Amino acid sequence: MAKLTVNGKEHDIDASDETPLLWALRDIVGLTGTKFGCGQGLCGACTVHVDGEVTRSCITPLKQAAGKSVTTIEGLSEDGVSHPLQKAWVAEDVPQCGYCQSGQIMAAAAFLRDNPEPSDQDIWDGMANLCRCGTYLRIHRAIKRAARKEV
Amino acid sequence: MTTITNISLSRRRFLGGSAASAGVFMLGLHLPLGRAALADDVDGDMNAYIGIADDGTVTIRNPYIEMGQGTYTSIPMLIAEELDIGMDIIRVEQAPPGEAYRLLYDGSRRFTGGSFSVRSAFKPLRTAGATARKMLMKAAADEWGVPLAECSTDNGRVVHEQSGRSLGYGELAPLAAQLETPADVELKSSADYRLLGTPVARTDSAIKSNGQAQFGIDVRVDGMVYAAVKQSPVFGGKVKSVDAAAVRDKPGVIAVDEIPNGVAVIAQTYWQAQQALAELPVEFDTSETDSAGFSSDAYRDELDQHLDDSGVAAEDSGDAPAALAAAARTISADYHAPFLAHATLEPMNCTALVEEGHCTVWAPNQGVDSVVMAATEVTGLDADRITVHTPYLGGGFGRRFIMDYTVQAVTLANRRKGTPIQVIWTREEDTQHDFYRPLIAARYRAGFDDDNQPVSLHTTTAGDGPIRRHMSSPDEEMKVDPSVMEGVMHQPYAIANKRADYVYRPVAAPIGFWRSVGHSMNAFFTESFIDEMAHAAEQDPIEFRRSMLNEEPRFRKVLDTAVQMAGWKGQAWDADDGRKHAMGVALHQSFNSIVAEVAEVSISDIDEIQVHKVWCAVDCGFAVNPRIVTMQMESGIAFGLSAALLEQITVSDGKVEQANFDSYPFLPPQRMPEVEVEIVNSGADLGGIGEPGTPPIAPAVANGLFALTGKRLRDLPLRADEVTA
Ligand code: FES
Ligand code: FES
Repeated sequence: MAKLTVNGKEHDIDASDETPLLWALRDIVGLTGTKFGCGQGLCGACTVHVDGEVTRSCITPLKQAAGKSVTTIEGLSEDGVSHPLQKAWVAEDVPQCGYCQSGQIMAAAAFLRDNPEPSDQDIWDGMANLCRCGTYLRIHRAIKRAARKEV
Repeated sequence: MTTITNISLSRRRFLGGSAASAGVFMLGLHLPLGRAALADDVDGDMNAYIGIADDGTVTIRNPYIEMGQGTYTSIPMLIAEELDIGMDIIRVEQAPPGEAYRLLYDGSRRFTGGSFSVRSAFKPLRTAGATARKMLMKAAADEWGVPLAECSTDNGRVVHEQSGRSLGYGELAPLAAQLETPADVELKSSADYRLLGTPVARTDSAIKSNGQAQFGIDVRVDGMVYAAVKQSPVFGGKVKSVDAAAVRDKPGVIAVDEIPNGVAVIAQTYWQAQQALAELPVEFDTSETDSAGFSSDAYRDELDQHLDDSGVAAEDSGDAPAALAAAARTISADYHAPFLAHATLEPMNCTALVEEGHCTVWAPNQGVDSVVMAATEVTGLDADRITVHTPYLGGGFGRRFIMDYTVQAVTLANRRKGTPIQVIWTREEDTQHDFYRPLIAARYRAGFDDDNQPVSLHTTTAGDGPIRRHMSSPDEEMKVDPSVMEGVMHQPYAIANKRADYVYRPVAAPIGFWRSVGHSMNAFFTESFIDEMAHAAEQDPIEFRRSMLNEEPRFRKVLDTAVQMAGWKGQAWDADDGRKHAMGVALHQSFNSIVAEVAEVSISDIDEIQVHKVWCAVDCGFAVNPRIVTMQMESGIAFGLSAALLEQITVSDGKVEQANFDSYPFLPPQRMPEVEVEIVNSGADLGGIGEPGTPPIAPAVANGLFALTGKRLRDLPLRADEVTA
C-alpha cells in the first residue's frame, strides 16, 4: 500500500512496492493518458512529473513515488485545454497518431519551466522523447510558440 | 510455410451488421456507387455515413481509421463541403462493419492503407453530403409548400430567401430521413469549394493533447483483466510444455493459458501478469517450423545467388538484355534492403469480451472486416454476432492489418465467457513478432551508347512479398508480386529498352506491409541507380533525369520545384558550420502521387550521417487538405529517414535479434531535419498522401552522400563508417 497524490488528489494504492508508477496510474488510479511505449525508459511515452521532476514512470517503482505528488497529462490544466502548451499543440496541429504526445507535453512543460526562453538548440538538446510519427518539427514549433506566449 | 496464425486481409467477403445509434436520425443513403451490393441495405438497414441529431450536430461515420494520417479531418471535410456545414458541428465516429462502408476495389473491401482513404472517398462521400443536403432541402420545401428550386442552404440550415424562412438541419432530419434518396445529385465544381483545398485544422489535436483520446490500450471495461503473452521466440514454434503451477500463486494471477503460438498469463493488473509471465517456465517446440534455422544473413546470401536468374518479367519493353549486350558501356550494381519492424509506439493490444452468442472486440485495426473475420473464426459465431470498436491507433504503418493479436484476445476471452480480457504486448514481443518489411536484394544494370546516352535498363529483384503472402490463396500462382515490384516497373524515365525481372524466393519469416511497401526499398534502388547512371554518363543528376522526362511533364514539374526550392548545388560546398555539405535528389511516384526530395547532408562531428534539410515537392493531383498533406510529407520523410539511417531487423536461428528501442532504435528528435514542403496541384487524378513522402528520402540521402564523399552506399541502413573510411 502506497500513498500517492495524483493531480492533487490523494490515493491509497494497493500494489506491490515494485509496481512501476506507470501501471499504478493506468490500471489502479485509472488515468490512461500516460502511455506505455517501451517499459525500459527509452521512449518517454510514460513521462509524468513527480514533485515537479520529469520522470519516466515505466521505470519508477511505486516506492520511489510514494508520498510524493504526481502530475499526469490529465492534471496539467484544469480543463484539459488551457495550458499554454496544449494551446500551442493545437495551434500547430502537432499530434498525428497522438500516442507519444502526453509524454511530449509533460516533458515540454518541465523543460519550459526550467528554460522559459529557450533557443532552438536548447529545445533540440532538451527534448528527448521519441515520436514514431515524426512530429518533431511541430513539437519544436509548439514549444517556441508557447515560450513566446503566442497562444 | 510456417504455422503462424495469420488471419489478415482476405478476399473472402461476408456481411457485417450495423446499427444506428439512438437519438440520431440516420439518413438512409444508398450511394450511387454503381454496384448492386448496396442493395443489401435497402430493406431498412440504416447503413449510412451521416447522422443528424436534433440539435443539428452532424455525426459522420468514417469508414477509415485514424492512425495519424488525418482521416478524421479530411474525410469529414468531403461531406461537410457538400452538406454545407462547418467543421465545428461535426462528430466523427468510426463506422461499424458493413457493406455500405466498403469503398475499395469497386465497393468490395474496406481497409485503411495503400494511401487510399481520401482518394477512394472523394466522390462517394461528397455524393453522400450532396445527397443529404438535397433531401434536407426537399423536406423543407415540402414543409413550406414551395418549389425545391427556391431553397438553398447556409451553414447547417435550409433557407427560403423569398419568405425569409429557414429551418435547421436538426429539425429537418426526421422528415428528410423519410424521403426517397435522390438518384442523381450534382457535385460542386472545384471553383466553388469552401473547405476542400484549404488548410483545415485537425479535429483530433485537442484530445490528443490532454490524454483524452482513447487508444486500444486505454479501453476499460467493467470487470476487465489483463493478459501478458509470450510467443515462441522462433517464428512458428508451439508451446511444448508450461509449468503453470509455478506462477499460479503469484499476486493477482488468475490463469495461465495457451494462445496459438505461445502462452498467456491473465492477472488483475497488467504488471502482475507481466511479472508472473517472466517467471513462467515454458518450453517451445520448433521442430515443425520451417523458420527454425532461418537466418537473415543466409537468406541475403541466397538472394544474391539468384540475381542473374531469368525471373518473371514485371516489365519488358524493347529488348533490355540484348541492348545491354550490345551497349558501348555498361554498369551494374547490387542493392539490399533489410527486414524492418513497424515499431508503432502503441504496442499490439486488443480487448475482447465473449458472452453467450455474442462477442465484442476493441481492436486497433486497419481493417474492421478482418477483425470480424478473426472473431468469427475463433468463436464460431456469425459475423452479425460480433461487435467491433475501433479506437484511435497509436500508429499503424501497415502492422495492424494482421490480426494475430486480435486472435489472442478473442481466444482467451472465448474460454472465459463474461470476462473482458485485454492483451498487451511488451515492446520486446512487439519487435520480435512483427510482420516485417521483407529483405530484398536487387541487381541493376544499365547500358549506354557511344554518346553516353542510356539505352538499356535491366533490373532483377529477388525476394518475397506481402501481397503473395497475405492476399493470395496458397495454390494461386502469383507470378509477379506487385508488393515486391511496385516502384521498379513503369518508371517514368524514357529508356528504349527496359526489363524488370522478379525472382521469387520464399522467405521463412513473417512479412507484411510497411509504410509505402515495395516503394520503400525500390525507390532507394532505382533512384540510387539513376544517380549512378548520371555519374557514369558524366552528367548532372538533375539534368540527366530531366533529359529522360520529356514526355512526363508532371514528373519534371515536381523535380524542378524541389530543385528550385533547394537552390540545387551539384557540388559539395564548405558550409557555415565548417564542414562540407552536399545535396542529393530523388524523384518517385507511389500511390499515384509524385514526390521529389532534395536532401542536404554532411558527416557530423561524431561521424554520423547528418541530414540538415529536406526540400519536398509533391503532386497528389489536388491537395484536399494542404495542412495534412504537409504533415504527412514531414512524417513520411521522418519515417523513411529513420529506416535509412537506423533500422534493421536481423534474424538468427529463426529468432529476431532486436528487442526494444535500444536494439531497434528509430529516429530521435535530434536527427530530424528541417523540412520544407511545396504542393503542386496539377489537377491530375487524386493520389495518396500517407505513404508517398517515405520512398524518396533514402535515395536522396544516399545520393547526397555520394556527392559529398564520392562513395556509393548500396545497402540500407546507410552507414557513415562506409563513407568516412
Ligand atoms: S514507456 Fe517509459 S520510457 Fe518508454
Ligand atoms: S504522434 Fe504518433 S508517436 Fe508521436
